[in-house]
Order: sequence, then C-alpha cells, then structure tokens
Amino acid sequence: MSSNPDSSRSTDLAEEKIADCVINATKEVFSTMVMMDVIDDFPLKEPVSRFKCSITGMVGFAGTYSGVISIHCPVDLAQKITSNMLGIDCDEVNEDLNDAIGEIANMLGGSVKQVLSKGGLDVKLSIPTVISGEDYTVNSLSDNDCVVVPFTVGGHTLLVGLTLKKED
Amino acid sequence: MENYEKEHTAMANILIVDDSSTMRKIISRSLRQAGLTVDEIYEAGDGIEGLGVIASGKSIQLILSDINMPNMDGLEFVKAVRANGNTTPIVMITTEGGEEIIAEAMSSGASDSIKKPFPPDQLQEKLGGLL
Repeated sequence: MSSNPDSSRSTDLAEEKIADCVINATKEVFSTMVMMDVIDDFPLKEPVSRFKCSITGMVGFAGTYSGVISIHCPVDLAQKITSNMLGIDCDEVNEDLNDAIGEIANMLGGSVKQVLSKGGLDVKLSIPTVISGEDYTVNSLSDNDCVVVPFTVGGHTLLVGLTLKKED
Repeated sequence: MENYEKEHTAMANILIVDDSSTMRKIISRSLRQAGLTVDEIYEAGDGIEGLGVIASGKSIQLILSDINMPNMDGLEFVKAVRANGNTTPIVMITTEGGEEIIAEAMSSGASDSIKKPFPPDQLQEKLGGLL
C-alpha cells in the first residue's frame, strides 16, 4: 500500500472530532469483531488516493449528512483480518475476504452514523462497495474535508478515511 | 434427572437474514460456540430470500435479521413476516443503532435488537432467553 508518510496534529476542532469518531469506531470494530488491537497514529495531512496490492471497503452516507467512510488495507493484512473474523484460513482474495472488508466498512459506517444521527432515520447508509487490485486509485470528486487516520495492526498499516458534509 | 432434561431440551432452528455472508458465518459460529440449543441454521441474503425460507415450511424458532440490506431491508422483512401472522421471535442484528430506527423495528414486530459490533457473549445473553 502506498501511503503518505507526512502526518500531523489537526488543529481544526471539527476535524479533531471527525478523527476521534474514526478512531473510536475502528478500535471498537476491531476489538469486538476482529479480535485484533489497532493503534492509531496522527491523521494524515493529505488523503491517499493510490493503493498497491490492497483492498478498499466503502460505505456512503446520505441525508442530513453526506459522505463516505472507507477502509484501505494491504491484502496480506486483509487475509489475517478475514481469518480472525471467520475462524478460517484465508490466503487469497476471494468472496470471504471481500465480504469481510465490506462488513467492516459497514460497521464503521454504522458507528459513525450513531454519532451523526441519534435517531437513526435522518441519515441513510449505502450497501458496502469493495474494490481490490495490484495498483488502483480511489478519488473523491467532492471538495469536502477528508480525514484519514492510519492504524498499525500486526506490523501492518491500514487507513480509515471519512469524508463528510452537512447538508442544508 | 439432569440427563433426562438434557435429552428433552428442544433444539431450535434459526434463520439468519443478512446480506453479508461474513456476518452470517460469524453469527452461526457464535450461536454454536455459545452453547445455545441450536439445531439447523438457515441463511438468507435479504428479506425476500428470508420470506422464501419461511414460506418453504421449515420449522423456525428464532429469526435474526439485519436492517440495511438490498432488495428488501430488515424493516420491510419484519412487517411482511408479521403481516403473514407469523409470531416467531425476530431479533434485529444491525449497525443501525439509532433509537428511532430501532423503535420502528420494534413497532413493526421485532422482539429485540443487538447492535454490531457486539462482543460474543452478548449474543448468548440476548438470545438465551428466547431459545
């Protein structure tokens, strides 16, 4: 996975809140469903768009807030995640791996949605989308702020990004 | 006496309705590991498939359903099950933890809800009383 090595403390309060939301959601999902502890690092200065030998899971928000939450991780880490979640050996990119990463994106989206919408009806979640490949790019055409938090797990790094906009 | 009770404990058949095969596998594994009295576990990828399993006449004692699914979501599924006069307990297992959406599920006929992600023992705690 190609990632931006530059990182810094965010000084914007809204971005800090969004980063906290991403960190809390990711730690909760990994500790309860994946049985792996993740260690967060400072949010990246710039979003990462190019990935190598990786898999990306994304879930969209629509309603009073619009945006996307995404998880990007190297395939070898995704295989460990899938193995832990399902209690099976996973050593290839297959339906189980795609579905596991999609489900993690879905649970991350659900956790963030709970912060955005206490009632739950004013923000809708999309069905997860998963892409993978040896070399691919993911670009957001929106000019909304994007917070990307790197996490270390088992000697690997994964990224969780959240792009949000409050609709008028 | 203890053996007699064990031998005569009813084994429950469970239907899991979730578009994620990963979640269906996790829930199935958790049910087995939790020591619940589970016999057959049937799976469906959305509400329409879930209604199909029920319509096939299989004996089902508990239904676990996601909310956010394609084709027919969990709220529509619960309403459709109840509209057919089926009173099988339905527990929503979902990322959709908002109070309003859970209230809508309960008023539609759901029996309880579990928010994902959940620790393994929570499944046993919630479902133990229903089986």
